[in-house]
Amino acid sequence: MESIAVGIGLAVGIAGLGVGIGQGLAANGGLQGMARQPEAGKQINNAMLLALVFLELVFILTFVIGILLVGKIH
Amino acid sequence: MDSFLHANLPLAEAAKSEGIGWNIFVYSGLTFAIVFGFVALARKGLKGRVYTSLPTRLAEHLFLFLEGMTVNVIGPQGRKFVPFLLALWSFIFVGNLMGLLLPETPTADWSLNIAMAVITVVYVQWEGIKANGLVGHIKHFAGPKLGGAMVVISGLIFVVEIISELMKLVSLSLRLYGNIHGGHLVRESLDTLIAGIPLGGLLLPLKFFTCIIQAFVWTILTCTYLAIATAHGHDDEHEGDHGGHGHEPELAHA
Repeated sequence: MESIAVGIGLAVGIAGLGVGIGQGLAANGGLQGMARQPEAGKQINNAMLLALVFLELVFILTFVIGILLVGKIH
Repeated sequence: MDSFLHANLPLAEAAKSEGIGWNIFVYSGLTFAIVFGFVALARKGLKGRVYTSLPTRLAEHLFLFLEGMTVNVIGPQGRKFVPFLLALWSFIFVGNLMGLLLPETPTADWSLNIAMAVITVVYVQWEGIKANGLVGHIKHFAGPKLGGAMVVISGLIFVVEIISELMKLVSLSLRLYGNIHGGHLVRESLDTLIAGIPLGGLLLPLKFFTCIIQAFVWTILTCTYLAIATAHGHDDEHEGDHGGHGHEPELAHA
């Protein structure tokens, strides 16, 4: 059953890596847009938050699968 | 390896027990009581010309914040949704906040979250039907109008849209559950890292931030869903016109 534990660690780690890169790119774009056009800051902020939220969902799903798998470790 | 298993022991036990968690009723009732108490306190201060009492001012700021967000996303006709969004925001926020100090969190239980997601999605459908009519709302799922043999494509789009509508339930509820429950798990793991030193307390500021963000995220997603559902289907046809239909102020936001 140790392979499950290793698998959970790998899954969460890899998902964190990918989602971290993706959220960094989204935040990069949003912040650059806000710096260049401060008057559009509010709209960019809302759109950026939405993008971050959808990216985060990928990690949350991985996390939930991890929780489900933790119950299988005996 | 031992410490890893030990840190996850409560979770494994919780997964095995199949009973009804009565705690969630107590704690969501407590959440309701706190929200209603705050609103009752805030309502007292509405009498004067100038709002001087602290709860009233806080409630006013919260209302203005959510109203600004709604108008930003939906447009000026979205103001009627603010009470619903305000109720959602305050319930989720207070429920999340409870996990910082109390042992149980209502929003860290998936059953409460899926119930809230069902309420949200059904409300969005209801508003869509009210705005476009039943037929218009169902047509809205089939995407843009395609002629001839492209009806097959429309059917496919319809099926995909229905599935994505159902996935909203899963994504809304799992997002809140994962964030709040995950925070608790990390705190518990940190607490057991060094015996006797509750290192997890260091996470409290971060968790407080998560509480605000998650409540905000739920409301802004509801806003987006409402904006999509209540948008009138013929708007995109007017965009090709030479501005003859300037009677709709929301076009300025599009």
